[in-house]
Amino acid sequence: MHPYEAKLLKALGGASASSLDELGKKLDMGKDPMLWAIENLSKQGAIKVERRKEYAATLTEEGSRDLEIFPEEELVRSLLKSGGRAEIKSIRNGIGFIWAKKLGWVAVSGDSISLTDEGADVARGSKQFPHKTLLASISKDPSIASERVASHDEQFDSLVKRKLIVVKERQVIDSIAITEAGKRMLAAPSDESNLINSVSRDVITGRKWETQGFKPYDPNEEAEPVYPARLHPMHEMIDQVRDIWLDMGFIEVSGPIIESAFWNFDTLFSPQDHPTRDMHDTFFLSNPSQIDIDNIALLNRVRAMHKKGWGGQWREELARKALLRTHTTSVSAHYMKKLSKELESSYPIKIFSVGKVFRNETIDFKHVAELYQADGIIIGNNLTLANLKYVLTRFYSKLGLKTLFKPSYFPFVEPGLEVYHYDEQRKSFIELGGGGIIRKEITKAMGTSKSILAWGLGVDRLMFNFMDLNSLMDMYKNEVDWLRKRKGLKL
Amino acid sequence: MAIVTFSLKDFASDGLDADTLTEVIPKIGMEVEAISGEEIAIDITPNRPDMLDFVGLVRAIRLFLNKRSPKEKEYVIPANPETEITVTKRVKGIRPFIAGLSARGVDLSGEKLKYLINFTEKLSDTYGRKRAKFSMGIYDLDKIVGPLTYDAADDGKFIPLGFDKEMGFSEILKTHPKGLAYGSVVSGRRTKHGMIPFLRCMEGILSLVPITNSEGTKVTTDTRNIFVDITGTSATTVMQVVNMVACSLMDSGATVSPCRIKYEDKEVVSPQLSSMEVQIKHSHIAKTLGVDIDLNGALSLAMRAGYFSAKYGNAILVYVPPYRMDVLNEQDVIEDIAISYGYDKIQAIPVIGFSDGLAEDSKEFANRASLHMIGIGFSEAINTYLTNEKTNFDNMRRKYDKNDVVSVAYSKTENITVLRTSVLPGLLRSLGYSSHERMPQRLFEYGSVFRVDKSKLAESAHLAFVSEHSKAYFSEAKSVMMSILEHLDITDYEIKAFEDPAFIEGRCAQVLSKGKHIAVFGELHPAVLSNFGLEEPTIGGEITLIDKIDYKF
Repeated sequence: MHPYEAKLLKALGGASASSLDELGKKLDMGKDPMLWAIENLSKQGAIKVERRKEYAATLTEEGSRDLEIFPEEELVRSLLKSGGRAEIKSIRNGIGFIWAKKLGWVAVSGDSISLTDEGADVARGSKQFPHKTLLASISKDPSIASERVASHDEQFDSLVKRKLIVVKERQVIDSIAITEAGKRMLAAPSDESNLINSVSRDVITGRKWETQGFKPYDPNEEAEPVYPARLHPMHEMIDQVRDIWLDMGFIEVSGPIIESAFWNFDTLFSPQDHPTRDMHDTFFLSNPSQIDIDNIALLNRVRAMHKKGWGGQWREELARKALLRTHTTSVSAHYMKKLSKELESSYPIKIFSVGKVFRNETIDFKHVAELYQADGIIIGNNLTLANLKYVLTRFYSKLGLKTLFKPSYFPFVEPGLEVYHYDEQRKSFIELGGGGIIRKEITKAMGTSKSILAWGLGVDRLMFNFMDLNSLMDMYKNEVDWLRKRKGLKL
Repeated sequence: MAIVTFSLKDFASDGLDADTLTEVIPKIGMEVEAISGEEIAIDITPNRPDMLDFVGLVRAIRLFLNKRSPKEKEYVIPANPETEITVTKRVKGIRPFIAGLSARGVDLSGEKLKYLINFTEKLSDTYGRKRAKFSMGIYDLDKIVGPLTYDAADDGKFIPLGFDKEMGFSEILKTHPKGLAYGSVVSGRRTKHGMIPFLRCMEGILSLVPITNSEGTKVTTDTRNIFVDITGTSATTVMQVVNMVACSLMDSGATVSPCRIKYEDKEVVSPQLSSMEVQIKHSHIAKTLGVDIDLNGALSLAMRAGYFSAKYGNAILVYVPPYRMDVLNEQDVIEDIAISYGYDKIQAIPVIGFSDGLAEDSKEFANRASLHMIGIGFSEAINTYLTNEKTNFDNMRRKYDKNDVVSVAYSKTENITVLRTSVLPGLLRSLGYSSHERMPQRLFEYGSVFRVDKSKLAESAHLAFVSEHSKAYFSEAKSVMMSILEHLDITDYEIKAFEDPAFIEGRCAQVLSKGKHIAVFGELHPAVLSNFGLEEPTIGGEITLIDKIDYKF
């Protein structure tokens, strides 16, 4: 219900009929809004409106002139001056003559007329002239027309006939009364209940908008927020990384997270007593505790490589230990072997993988035991450190990151490097990953004479560049509200 | 990686200030961890233990800056041993090898003693694998009387470093801080052999190996003449380490004399400061680095890396200094040439050869499934694979056989014990973190689960979903499961009532495909919900989309 309607209904509340005037006094409302509200409420059946006809008379140009003196008045006055008699043919005032005769103010005998007694009284002003009085009254108050019309007053009619006045008819509200329906509306909890709130099927098919208004809404009202269902931000980041490698012509591969130490460490020339092979850094498994190494020829070559490179003994049972891979370079190792005997024309071969890696860490806001890493290798002829710089620079430039390179050490590469990004906000260098040229000892053991570029890049740490993130742990809690409200990656 | 800390002022005599160090150290492959006040902390990579030593670090920096150049036969010592160690057969099988040297005119004043001690500690800790592979002892040479013996015994007595009374071997193992820290290195073997190795002279025990030295032979800042021993499990390693120490002492101005080691069956002299020769073909440099460096240029770059070098036809011949333990072949030297050249100066060159990118089918499939779930209003969650029995089984009211579960042997974090066998528990845990947030809450996860199946490892890809809100009924679970089956073109299936203790009895169903159970769904049991801290009705389901992931190597 519109506020105007509500106001009006409330004013009518007391049951008995009210006139418009009374209402107008009660309500502090303009006439137009009030009439609009009456109209609407009446259509809704909330009120019953009684109407009546009302007349108003206004004087014509002639009527205004006659207000001074009527033609018949003029006639009798001039007759009185000329002794009460006159020849008919001398009369110029024809209209005056006709009406004076009708009113019995003059009498005709032969070719002359004479003043009657009544006519003389009028001429002397000693008798009222009712038409003139009426015309004067009308000029002061046009509404007196209504009662004259109603009583079929002869004098009034004659004024109309003589076109001294014109009468206009109009409908006016006689009384307004609240109906039972109106009382119910008034009693209803919402003042606006009869306005269309929700657009329903009924509203549309029943064309209700033609008879009912719509409840207006405040555009500044609180609206319930909507959040999309979406991919996990890490999934988005991983897909971004994948897309770039795919763009750069790399073939995607993957490998198991449960590995033998052989594939995670030994094939990559990591000495068996290396600290990372300690259970304090790597998750070794108790079930299964061992994974068989199928390729005996490879096993022997790896054994020889270790004995020559690191001295001392190399123990197969340590190589068979089952663990959760510490880097996705284990996947690269599998592919170095798998791709060692391809057709010459297929080189260079470029592959990458993205996957989880595991570190036996004490978990806190900075450290998680599971991280994502992206590894890649290119196998080909005479691949150089300059090529590796190109590949990594290009990859990170597609993420909008400028890179710097410094020498570093990993057992399986020589030369080795680390790639950094200078973080303008934190004013510090962020290590992005490491890489290098696979050692000849390894390529030989894998059975290839090609050179291999290899790298491993942290994916989790990239999240800090592209998301406002306090801790990696937050990401894997999957708090629904966080997933809902998080901003997109700032890629 | 090992972090070493030095006073900045000690670099001053070599003309190295903080700015120079900050600039140069990354260029030679190390990392400045921090500069705070008077100190610099540097991260040394494990291939260069020689730089754990202050002298060795300064040497490398000065070489790089052309403030020093390597000489032919730079490290030469007298042939005649000044000291002698007899090795008894009792150390065989415990810690069989030893090397030693004596040095006179050593300057241990100021910070130098501290640096020497720190160096031996760091070296024994990292490269020496917490003294298991080798360890080092430093003694006042003037306190040593007569020839030395490297022996092992059940027990013995001496005054350990830092104490004022004699202690027995077993007492040291039980009460001395170093005994507690390193006793296990030999005590594990002790149970087998019943003996602990030690070094003694005519006067008494110099050290309990590899635990502690004697108080009597303690080295102070005033000590000028020292004896050093390295004991370990590899003859090569103890020799390499003693060579490195010899170079360091000689670089700091001391005179080093060798030590004769008399094994039962042979005699060796340590250190052995001969240089390994490595030949680097000129063309190999460009082939490895992608940079054209002429032969003279390569030669001077190798010199800057500390290799005394000479032209040799179309190659250069380099002499690996005796302090380097990491050089195996040409590749290692080429890396050092690259470091001298400057990694930042190497121009990036594209790899020649066109190739098409190709995404892996399994990843594309995972994305297809994920986008379907997003489309029906489920947000993606990513949980860790590592979990524990409580979350994975007990909270789900599911029974398990330990033999079927992939378990870790040891975890630093208490609640990590197994790899998940199901994706649902992680999702329920995530809902538990969000119980105060607006409902409905809908999550899904696509990921791997693991089991041991007849002693064979099996990795499967699962898709699981949960929906929590006041009107979460069985029919929603069914609707979601049906939409997954439909979208992923799984057409040949039947749905049957199923019993899974994680779900309410009579409100759980399974999907069978060709007679095989592939999925479960239904209303989660209130007991399960309260285990995860959920207070609203929740439905869920889990489907196996790839039963056994086969990596094709």
